[in-house]
Amino acid sequence: MFGDYQNVVTMSVYGSAIALILIGLYGVLIKKHLMKIVIGLSVVDSGVNLMFVAIGYIKGGTAPIFSPSVIDKNVQMVDPVPQALVLTAIVIGFAVTAVALSLVIRLYKHHKTARIDQIKSLKW
Amino acid sequence: MVISPVHYIAVPLLAAFTIPLFAKIHKELTRIIPGIVLLYLAYVSYVLMSKVMTTGPIVEVIAGWHAPWGINLVYNGFSGFIASLMSIMGFLIWLYTYRFKKVDDEPALKFYILFLMMVAGSIGIVITGDVFNMFVFIEIVGITSYSLTAFYRGRDGAEASFKYLLIGSFASVFLLLGIMLLYTHVGTLNMAEIAQKMHTIPTSAKVSIFVMFAIALGIEAEMFPLNGWAPDAYSQAPGPIGAGFAGIVVKAGVYALIRIVFTLFDIEGAFQYLIVMGLITMIIAEVAAIRQTNLKRMLAYSSIGQMGVVLIGFGIGTTEAIFAAIFLMFNHAVIKGLLFMSGSFLVYNDDKKQIVSLSRFGKKLPIVSFLFALGAFAIVGFPPFAGFWSKLYLLLAAADKNMIFLIATILMVSVVEVVYYLRVVGKLYFGKEESTVEPKKPAFNSLIVMLILGGVIILVGVYPDVITGFIQNAADTLADKASYISNVLPSL
Repeated sequence: MFGDYQNVVTMSVYGSAIALILIGLYGVLIKKHLMKIVIGLSVVDSGVNLMFVAIGYIKGGTAPIFSPSVIDKNVQMVDPVPQALVLTAIVIGFAVTAVALSLVIRLYKHHKTARIDQIKSLKW
Repeated sequence: MVISPVHYIAVPLLAAFTIPLFAKIHKELTRIIPGIVLLYLAYVSYVLMSKVMTTGPIVEVIAGWHAPWGINLVYNGFSGFIASLMSIMGFLIWLYTYRFKKVDDEPALKFYILFLMMVAGSIGIVITGDVFNMFVFIEIVGITSYSLTAFYRGRDGAEASFKYLLIGSFASVFLLLGIMLLYTHVGTLNMAEIAQKMHTIPTSAKVSIFVMFAIALGIEAEMFPLNGWAPDAYSQAPGPIGAGFAGIVVKAGVYALIRIVFTLFDIEGAFQYLIVMGLITMIIAEVAAIRQTNLKRMLAYSSIGQMGVVLIGFGIGTTEAIFAAIFLMFNHAVIKGLLFMSGSFLVYNDDKKQIVSLSRFGKKLPIVSFLFALGAFAIVGFPPFAGFWSKLYLLLAAADKNMIFLIATILMVSVVEVVYYLRVVGKLYFGKEESTVEPKKPAFNSLIVMLILGGVIILVGVYPDVITGFIQNAADTLADKASYISNVLPSL
């Protein structure tokens, strides 16, 4: 019974990560407003990060901090590597979003619109 | 001070973030310091390359954490060659931009900060031995490239940059997902250890991970159909940055893709995949290039096409073909660098950068026009220029494998290439009427850089032995996966 509950929790985390990625992709691909596209991008990032943390999780594991109690009781720790990677990925995502927003401002000033279907001075 | 591969990353990043402080002392320092840093990197390349050629690969352990756990830098024949090429190209581009007028108008400070970070990130992609570290460097290169693409306010740089950013963000999502899947299967991020444990992954998972990596890195490597960003970014970015994209950023993307295919994955279809994608990339890009009226877009499409040929070379997979492909990468960096540098002076005063406006520029700008023509002849592969040898070696390698169709296609596409390059050269010298556009006199330092590159093209063309030793070593290193693993993980 307890195991089933744990499974449901794990699956719901994975499910919401995938849902976030799909929502973000929808925003990027379908929406026409530049701001919505940028928001979509950062939603995709969150989904990937959530997935990454979920993968490093071990059932019943504690925080990966090296302390006497952890060694004594011989409890399992969750994998610290994905967490470290996610921290890096969050910072990178933040930087990309900042650049994207500044580009949106530039585009808006240049074209007097923030709708992507009205900005087409460059073509293939 | 002991010179080590860490300097490639640490010195330019440190300089990039301290330039604003130096700017407070004297304004000219913001231009001089990047030059000193890049010259130092070229010196580091010289020292390390001579060490690699005599004593073998250098594996640098960062912060005392040994190979499977910590991040390490691998400086072997291949990565060293590409890193040296990048640092030297970086220095030449700096020299070229030193008195570039538009950089004066726009803040030179920001330009050089971004440029140094771009060079550091690209070299980082090449010499790192850790998959996630590679992701971080790809993002550094990405963010700096987006910003440099949008550098000029007057042009449509922001639009090109936003396109690039969208595609680049997809690349990073795919790369992160790929790294994640890989990590769940092998439990490590070290490339050598991944290569060692790759056979334990079931084939289906291996293929899906490979597809994610290929999509993500194909975007940086300008592989079809992921190269929509390239023509816009090349044409809207400042001229020297176009040379930087061709000579530095794209090389890093191709290197990462090749490293993934050759060292990490041993999937049977991966090489055929490279050949097919390379062919499609080459054909589409060259056909698109022929109908461009904008000089910079034409050069961008030509650059994509060349990358397709490079991918074909790596896809054939024999040592001779790898040799040809690396030679082609070198040639492309030098020749396309020259074409972008001279081309951006030719179309300097034309806002639309049109080929038509170049009519009879051969008289007005004799040296620049001559250098552009030299680059054009070299890139289509006329003897006795550098481009001839790489194309010849590639065709010979394809002939060894009896790939007649491949040879025929490459030659046919070369004809297309000849047509659109000679059209520009013809316009320069035999244009019907005098162009109304005023030519821009090249600055002295820019002229020197272009003359150096032209000299290299002729030197390598007449006497290819100056470079083939390094390239042969690079090709041997790339093909030898076992020694890559044993160099990084000596104890295992």
